[in-house]
Amino acid sequence: MIFNYIGNYSLIISVIISLTIFFLSISNLQKINIKKKINLNKLNFFQFFFVLVSFFSLVVLFVLSEFSNITVFNNSHTTKPLFYKISGTWGNHEGSLLLWLLILTLSLFIYFLSSKSRPIKERLLTLIFQEVIIIGFLIFIIKTSNPFNQIFPIPKEGLGLNPILQDPILAIHPPVLYLGYVSTSIIFSSSLASLVQGNVNNLWAKHIKKWIFASWIFLTIGILLGSIWAYYELGWGGFWFWDPVENISLMPWLSLTALLHCILVLEKRSLLSSWTIILSISTFTLSVCGTFLVRSGILNSVHTFANDPERGLFILIFLFILVFLSLVIYFLFEKNLKTNNNKFNLLTKESSILINNWFIMYFLSVILIGTIYPIFLEVLSDQKISVGPPFFNKLLIPFLIPFLIFMSIGPNLNWIKNKIFENKIQLIIFFILNLILSFFIIKIFGRITLTFTILLAASFYLFYITFKDLIKKDYKNISQAISHFGFSLLILSILMNSILSKEIIANLKVGEEIKFMESTIKFKKVENSSRSNFKSLVGFFEINNKDDKKFLFKPEIRIYNQPQVITSEADIKTNFFKDKFFVINLVKGENYFNIRYQEKPLMIWIWLSTILIAIGGSVSFFKRYEK
Amino acid sequence: MKIIKFLPIIFLYFSLFSSFSNEKNSQLENKIFKNLRCIICQGQSIYDSQSDFAESMKLVVKQKLDSGMSEEEIYIFFKDQYGEWISYDPEFNAKTYFLWGLPVLIFLLGGAIILRKLAVLKN
Repeated sequence: MIFNYIGNYSLIISVIISLTIFFLSISNLQKINIKKKINLNKLNFFQFFFVLVSFFSLVVLFVLSEFSNITVFNNSHTTKPLFYKISGTWGNHEGSLLLWLLILTLSLFIYFLSSKSRPIKERLLTLIFQEVIIIGFLIFIIKTSNPFNQIFPIPKEGLGLNPILQDPILAIHPPVLYLGYVSTSIIFSSSLASLVQGNVNNLWAKHIKKWIFASWIFLTIGILLGSIWAYYELGWGGFWFWDPVENISLMPWLSLTALLHCILVLEKRSLLSSWTIILSISTFTLSVCGTFLVRSGILNSVHTFANDPERGLFILIFLFILVFLSLVIYFLFEKNLKTNNNKFNLLTKESSILINNWFIMYFLSVILIGTIYPIFLEVLSDQKISVGPPFFNKLLIPFLIPFLIFMSIGPNLNWIKNKIFENKIQLIIFFILNLILSFFIIKIFGRITLTFTILLAASFYLFYITFKDLIKKDYKNISQAISHFGFSLLILSILMNSILSKEIIANLKVGEEIKFMESTIKFKKVENSSRSNFKSLVGFFEINNKDDKKFLFKPEIRIYNQPQVITSEADIKTNFFKDKFFVINLVKGENYFNIRYQEKPLMIWIWLSTILIAIGGSVSFFKRYEK
Repeated sequence: MKIIKFLPIIFLYFSLFSSFSNEKNSQLENKIFKNLRCIICQGQSIYDSQSDFAESMKLVVKQKLDSGMSEEEIYIFFKDQYGEWISYDPEFNAKTYFLWGLPVLIFLLGGAIILRKLAVLKN
């Protein structure tokens, strides 16, 4: 098939172009020639263009179900709907790496076009660092995971895509997440370049801020999509499992969030320059680290759908080189950082951002250590332990309380110097009121623990304060107000959701009914139907409330044919107050079904508040700078 | 501001609507299910898994609860049978000092650095 060759050769051409850019940039760096600049623009475009051609060849192969290609053979099937044939392109290891590379070259192209205001040497250096990453990934793809390998004789039918990946949200989840992951590479390269050039100052901060916000928005939305998918497809009503792969996507996000706050200090006050560089390096390292951990297969996770030790080893070496090189550069050029000895008072915005970074780094370290410690322990001492939700709850929740309180105070402080709080007493009384309120909420619902009460109080507190900031007339910083309000809403919804959720699990036959709180659940019938890629069993359940309102639920079981997998599709009824979640499951060799019904208050607010957080970021991204 | 002060009451009002059950036992059951790993699945608790193994483990948990075993005793029972891997809540012992201690140590270290920074810059 011709597209196999087109894809393959485009990749090889990209390697040649990348090497050309790499060496051209180095030679340009020594003798700056303005005319050469245009030349590089074109080369950057062609580098991106050939990866794009290669990517499109793979998409075409998937659409045509061309099983002479091993990747298509392993991950597609003729009966699959067209949409999932296309999304199948990145639903596997080879294709997703090609997508990664595509975004990598795209972001470099955009960077070079949009960075004309920066010194040429810094741009060339960024280009060089970025090319190191691109060439590394190109070699990785061509050597260990070439998507265009062929198979002979040509099989008649493919093996199919894992059904839990055949889902509209999961089709767009990887591209969005990758946009976030990969654009952090620009932050990484640019920060190293400006470090070498001694340009780490407020102007650079202003420039790189756009990239930080852009990747942060994509990462936020990407994680949200994954979580929504887990909620209705994977989870039995859960949306975050502290699963290693989830943790891995959260780590770069945390690091980026710290960087997002830290860059403001650098922009406004020219402080914390070395810390900014360290955060830039760590964010990208964590992104690559995530790829390594997912792809190597050393993680025990529901999400790991493709893995191979050789690939893991390659990324591990690549990661090691990246970290080593950036540390060498850091220590060689650290003297270029101008230490600014401006006054740094305790009650100022800059110190509150420092405190924010301190806590975020703590959360990051808990998640990092909790995720990789079991791996190290197993390798070193051959002992297996599991680190799950109880561990994270124990270490995160107590520290969340002061974090929330600082978060409600910090943003209202001024830069440089702050008057002592005008209405200190009012704030304290307010907090005590919240404490009492939370105590009663928890007492009523029967789980009195001190930490929970205080945590709830702290999040109510943050909620009021951020809400007050949001409706204040003078919009000093509207994007911050939106994001912080979104965050407080998120924490509050998660807490209320976990305290107030109710559920019942039971085994039911057709015709039977069961009591749940003050309503009855009746199993009316089962209907069979058949589609091109799966058979379906739909259960009909009627829930009668005490005031005789009837709700019909139709949860579904799907038996996919290629590959043979059984999935449960939940029936979810959503409103602004709560989600009603109904899911059934087959029990082997029995004539009853396993049913699970949950009422989950404020569920939709978890998603909406995360969207608010991202909107806040977007407002800042699109804001024009005041002259 | 007045509206803000009324919010908690509105909240409480809605919260009361979703009435609650006293099925303490099933709550405890679910809590235990969530803390036990289904060892034949890929990283799922027996609460989240529907495999035969998870189902039979759930039955064992129910039996043990009915026979009057406490939550802790059930964890110990499963750890004896399948090893520590089965529990999602790692113990605090010689092999996990670092796991539990390191993050807190990092927190303290970060605090020390910040304090020093503040002090240095003030002088």
